[in-house]
Amino acid sequence: MDAVVLEHVTKSYESLTAVNDLSFAIRQGAVFGLLGPNGAGKTTTLRMVMRILMPDTGSIRILNQPLTEKSQDLIGYLPEERGLYPRMEVRKVLVFLAALKGMPEVEADRRAGQWLERFELSAWAKKKVIDLSKGMQQKVQFIATVIHRPPVLILDEPFTGLDPVNAILVKDIMLELRAQGSTIILSTHRMEQVEMMCDSICLIHKGRNVLHGELREIKKSYGKNTLRIECSGDGDFLERSGLVEKVNHYGEVMEAKLLPGTDPQEILKGALQQGVRINRFELVEPPLNDIFIEKVGGASA
Amino acid sequence: MHKWWLIFKREYITRVRTKGFVIATIAIPLLTSGIMGASIYLAIRQNTRSMKITILDNAGGFADSIATGLTKTLPNGKPAFQVVKKIERPASEEGVRKELLDEVNSGALDAYLVLPKEGAAAKSAEFHTKNTGDFTLEGLVARAVSNSFVERRLGDHGVKVDNLDDLLRGVDVKMVKVTKEGETEEKGQTFVVGLILMMLLYTMLVMYGIVTMRSVLEEKTTRIVEILISAVTPFQLLAGKIIGVAAVAFTQYFIWISTAVLIGAYGGAIASAYSPGTSITSFHIPGFVLIASVIYFLLGYFLYASLYAAIGAASSNEQDAQQLQLPATLPLVVSVVMWNVILRDASSTTSIVLSEIPFFSPILMLLRISIQTPPLWQIGLSVVLMILTTFGVVYFSSRIYRVGILMYGKRPSLVEILRWLKYS
Repeated sequence: MDAVVLEHVTKSYESLTAVNDLSFAIRQGAVFGLLGPNGAGKTTTLRMVMRILMPDTGSIRILNQPLTEKSQDLIGYLPEERGLYPRMEVRKVLVFLAALKGMPEVEADRRAGQWLERFELSAWAKKKVIDLSKGMQQKVQFIATVIHRPPVLILDEPFTGLDPVNAILVKDIMLELRAQGSTIILSTHRMEQVEMMCDSICLIHKGRNVLHGELREIKKSYGKNTLRIECSGDGDFLERSGLVEKVNHYGEVMEAKLLPGTDPQEILKGALQQGVRINRFELVEPPLNDIFIEKVGGASA
Repeated sequence: MHKWWLIFKREYITRVRTKGFVIATIAIPLLTSGIMGASIYLAIRQNTRSMKITILDNAGGFADSIATGLTKTLPNGKPAFQVVKKIERPASEEGVRKELLDEVNSGALDAYLVLPKEGAAAKSAEFHTKNTGDFTLEGLVARAVSNSFVERRLGDHGVKVDNLDDLLRGVDVKMVKVTKEGETEEKGQTFVVGLILMMLLYTMLVMYGIVTMRSVLEEKTTRIVEILISAVTPFQLLAGKIIGVAAVAFTQYFIWISTAVLIGAYGGAIASAYSPGTSITSFHIPGFVLIASVIYFLLGYFLYASLYAAIGAASSNEQDAQQLQLPATLPLVVSVVMWNVILRDASSTTSIVLSEIPFFSPILMLLRISIQTPPLWQIGLSVVLMILTTFGVVYFSSRIYRVGILMYGKRPSLVEILRWLKYS
């Protein structure tokens, strides 16, 4: 079953069409990556799913129901711009926000306690939000998103501002919620996160759907056309070979997309002739980053 | 539980818990009654000692009648004046004056009264004392002196009177206010009550309008608003907020009014217990005016608060909000400025028209009601007009609000804000 379905959704502002005839479906229990360059229409799309904005045309369905006031309670929303009442106590903010999403206050209070403990924030429960560090506030914000057990989660850049330890905690919780059947919409510019976590993606550019489907299928469709090399010595031999399109250097590791019809063995031969020492030579599917850049035509990623 | 109720509850509880609210609500009445009490106490204390005076009568024959004329007693029963010495026709006026001056300076004497040589023909006398600011005292002395002189002049014309005070008493013309319920004596209190209510209403409307505006702005600048409207509709959020602030205002109004009523009821009694004879003019606010003030405050608050909320939503920071405030504050200021038009003739056509304009009604109609009860249809019409206008303003404000809370950056112009109304 599809948890979230958009059909021919269009939303225009005065002179700008932010979202243009956008359609996609998200399978229940999947992690779905909503990708796109800045200004592609991601936030507008998420706000329409959240019923903060109304689409001009098209329809949106959540768990097989059209959007109503009630459907807002089914979604946990972590917007890109975070915000809490700075002068309210941490636990009270959590209870208030959970109650707004329809959870009885007693239960909300109990769950707030559990979540604060899990994030090692119990000692801060009675402190004002303003007294917390940025990272702690991010954690409180994440709790506020999931506290009312929403079947659908919308997370806009959930890892920003978190240290590696807490980032792993958040990632684990996301996977845990998915295992319990939650559907997660992840909007991020960090392609490595998408590659690690997402089952399916939709890449939008200028409000239009330019790439959409299961991540694995998409990558497979590109084939193993990318060479990943780890070497010591002169790294420029790849460019000089004239057999690759573009080389990305990551220190000792390089990635390059092969020109169509190229035999990778030619490159290996060339490298050995030039005395470059190859430690790894691997043919892989293109990284999502390259697919992204190719699809949006090198616009700011 | 309705979602707006949660918004309302949070708004109310966090606001009545702020230091500012507690101080304004509790400290102001305490401070006011404290100052009032202290000044009454001091005033009573000050007058526990008789004033020692000497009369220097250069013409002769006046001092005794003046001394008997100074009969006023203090609250504690002692005479207000104690005539220490009467000097009649001294050999050297200059010498005596110098002596008396020294006595006043040394504190042996509080004052001395100098009557001129001309006697009955005199036009003025002198009262020398350190504290020349006490008007009550001045009045008492002046009356005793002039009574004594008038008595002498009448005597010179062969008129003998026993009780000059009764003879000279003028005739007061009382103002009687005519209302449907009957006639009541006017002592200037309707005028004062009207003005006080007007200023109170103006202050509360502006103050709580701005509180509403700040509250909207705060949710916008802290960016929590996007999370809130992912759970409630903007209209629920706006309604909960405006009603929440209204409840805060009523809490304060209730505490203030009950303090005022308590002071009115017991303050006078307490003061007179300490000093018999002290009378504190008590203001009686007619029940109808009180009810009207609550109704007009409510209607005015919803009208203006929704305007202020829209302004808060259209701004991104405090400075923008201050610049955009004018359209909301101006009608309030204008209606306060118009008060003397109403006061001059509360039932003139101008007054009627002005007080029926919904943005002016809360202040001007209330002023009319407190001065002279207008026909019921005029009150009813203004209430109906205000309710209709409020619905209109709330409708437009909530549309501006809905768009504005998600807009950041440059301050929008009024034209741009009006264009938001068309957004779906």
